[in-house]
Order: sequence, then C-alpha cells, then structure tokens
Amino acid sequence: MEVAGVRLVIDHVTASSPSWSLTANGVFSLGVHLISGDVGSGKSTLALMMAGLRAPECGTVTREGISRMMLSFQFPEFHVTGLSIEEECRSWNLDPEEVIRSVNIGVTGVTPVLSLSRGELKRLHLTCILARNYDLLLLDEPFSSLDCAEKEKICQKMSLRSSGITVIFTHEQNVFPHVDHIWEIVDGRLTDCGDMPGAIERWQHAPPLVKKLVSTGRTPRELTPEGIREAACRTHE
Amino acid sequence: MITFENIRYRLLTIDTLTIAPGVTSVIGPNGSGKSTFLKICAGIAEPKSGMVLVDGKAPRETEIGFVNEFPDRNILFSTVKDELASPLRFRHTPCGETERTVRACAGTMGITRLLDRNMQDLSGGEKVLVALAAACISRPRVLILDECDSHLDAQRCAWLNTVLHASGAEYVLRCTQQMETAAEGDYLLYIQKGKVVHAGTPAVVFPLLSDTPFYPQSWRWPV
Repeated sequence: MEVAGVRLVIDHVTASSPSWSLTANGVFSLGVHLISGDVGSGKSTLALMMAGLRAPECGTVTREGISRMMLSFQFPEFHVTGLSIEEECRSWNLDPEEVIRSVNIGVTGVTPVLSLSRGELKRLHLTCILARNYDLLLLDEPFSSLDCAEKEKICQKMSLRSSGITVIFTHEQNVFPHVDHIWEIVDGRLTDCGDMPGAIERWQHAPPLVKKLVSTGRTPRELTPEGIREAACRTHE
Repeated sequence: MITFENIRYRLLTIDTLTIAPGVTSVIGPNGSGKSTFLKICAGIAEPKSGMVLVDGKAPRETEIGFVNEFPDRNILFSTVKDELASPLRFRHTPCGETERTVRACAGTMGITRLLDRNMQDLSGGEKVLVALAAACISRPRVLILDECDSHLDAQRCAWLNTVLHASGAEYVLRCTQQMETAAEGDYLLYIQKGKVVHAGTPAVVFPLLSDTPFYPQSWRWPV
C-alpha cells in the first residue's frame, strides 16, 4: 500500500552530550534509509529525536503524514513488557503461536522472555516489530546480536516493506537489506551521501569489502548479499 | 590449556575439548549454547556433570575478566570511574594505585573522556567499552567476551583486536557474529545445538562452513 505525503523533516536540529555534539538537517522520504556512524556519534539520540522521544536543543523535527510510528531500541530487553513469550506477543497484539512459528527458536508460550539468549530475544522482538506496517519505522542497531543466517532473514523481511519510511541506524558491516538512501554522521554532522547506488562512492563508513569493490570499479548497485555478490563477480561494466 | 571433559549443562554437551593459549573465537547460530559455553569457561555457571580446568585449576580459582552479552548486566556502579575501579577495590588495592591504574587503563582504552560520566547516560557502544576496560583492568589470565563487538563500529572492532593482544591475557575467548573478526583469531569453535561441531584454526574450520552464511565474505569474494 503506497502512502502519499509522508515525510520526515529534520530542520537544523542540534543535540549534544558531554562528549559529542550533533547537527542534523535533511528530508527523509519514502523508502529505506541507512544511517551509519561511530560509537558515541549520536545515532541513538538522533533516533530518539526522530521518534519525538527527545527534544532537540535547536531546530525542529516534523513528521508529515505519519500516524503509525515505531522505534526499535538497540537493546531488545528495553522493549520487554511480558513475563512469558505468550504475554510478550500479546502485548504486541499478535498471536503467540504464529510468532513462535516465525521466530523458530524452539520455545513455548510459557517460556520466560528473559530466559532467551540475547540473539533469540532480538529475533522475537524484530519479528513482533516487522509483523506490522508503520508510516515511520526507526530501527536502532537491528542487526546486533543476530547470527549471520538470521541477519539475512531479517534483511529479506525488511526489504519486503513496500510502504512508509524505514530508517536503519547501524554499524553493521556485512549484511544489509535493500537500501534506497545512505546517510552518515561524520565529525558531528549528519551527512547526506545520496541515493543508491551513487551514495556508496561517497560513503566514508562503507564496509571494507564495499570499498574494495568501489576502488576496483565495481560499485555495487545494491547493498544486499545478492548485490555484493553481483559486484564481486562482475567482470566488466 | 583449557580442558573440558564430559560437560553436561543445559543444552550443552561436550565430551572432550582442549583450547590452547591464544585468541579463540566462538561462533554459531543464536541459541546454540555459545553464551552458556562462555559462562562455564568463566565459572559463572557450573556444569551438573563434567569438568572444566584452566591449566589444571577450576575457573573460579583463576583470574578471569568477563563481558556479558547484555551491556547493562555488566554495570554495578553509577559512574564510569567507579565501575572501572571496582575490580581493584574488591581486592583492596590501595587508593592511590587504584586511581593511577584506572587513569592508565582509561587512556589505553580511549575512554578518559568518559571517566566522570554516569553509566546510564552512555551509548550502547560506550557501555561495552567501559565493561571491556573493567574486565581487563586487573590483567586477567583469561578474558571472555560475549559478543561485545556487536555494539561497536568497524573502527572500534579493529582496535579491539589490538586491545586484546595488549591485554596480556593468556587465553581470550570471544563469541562473535563478525566472521571477518573470527577469521583473525588463532582458533575457531563452531557450536550448534549445544555441541562443538567444528574446532581448529580458522583455515581448517571455515572451509567446512563454506555453504553457510558463517563463511567470511572476504573469503567468499576475494577482491
């Protein structure tokens, strides 16, 4: 379902902590946006401001046409509200049996949520999040704690999102979903690298393999595993 | 050597395993028993049957530094400075020496700017850096890290390898989901459904995983 008139406008926003400061300016339109940045560069704070959970020191964040929004915190344990898997699934208004089948981690409804490993908890959390549609979906480090196989599965689910704005804050270096636009935080400033695939050539935080592909004239057209494989196997333009 | 004999604990089943000094990476699917394995190595969990020995001693009789996979579960104190000082204070290290060691460790770890910060105000990655510093500050013989690189950027991950080698730890056991990182270690364990399915050097183990997502990208597509 296409959502018309949906935009996230970051207008000269600033935020700071004792050890960093951040200036951000940009318009996020429909599609999947990737934001990379170093530890402590303000990625999570920017996510909170985009979600309206933290006020910027200066500037404004405007969510145009956005009525359904979700922020996924970096730490899945911050989202837990139920004692058991069943309670947790019901807190998302989802059918526990369906979620358990989808997560595929060999648990039952009565299994205590906090007895799961961190990777299992992240899988449960992301399955609940991605079961619904949002006009604005903010994912803070969605790939941390996931094993390599699960990263690919979650990326496939993210790539299937056909509407709304998805913003992924990550320092992941290996597995990515389909991405439309790349941003990064460099020297305390949110920098717009542009639309894919051209953005890759301006992306300072690009993974080493991607940088090598660019330097050998094989810029990937997609960041997905298939896109990287195609670029790596490309023999001529 | 770290030796394992007839371990039975939760889903973990290890008949016999030997880990040599060096950096050992532990990889495998979520929920396969990696964290349980690390907790047994650290002496945090004790198997119902079987034995783990670090050069002939029980883990609880060995100096071990441990970083939990849940960053907040490493935190005991309010400020970074107190958190870093805690392993030294617990062993009644004189105040002056504690202060000097905390400053030196923070400098090595690049977190001097964080010393007066409140732990709860740190980012996820910063919490991991502090937990790592606290694990290293007493110069443990065994350093055990449960996916602490999942919260670090690429630059910090590369730097982490330098820190591990400089830590002086004879044994480093690290669970990671970064296969490029695992490829740089001395040894590799692949755990699946509670069993150590493959053990050896990365050059031996990774080819056995070449048809899985656990094979390093840079090996699959050398550019």
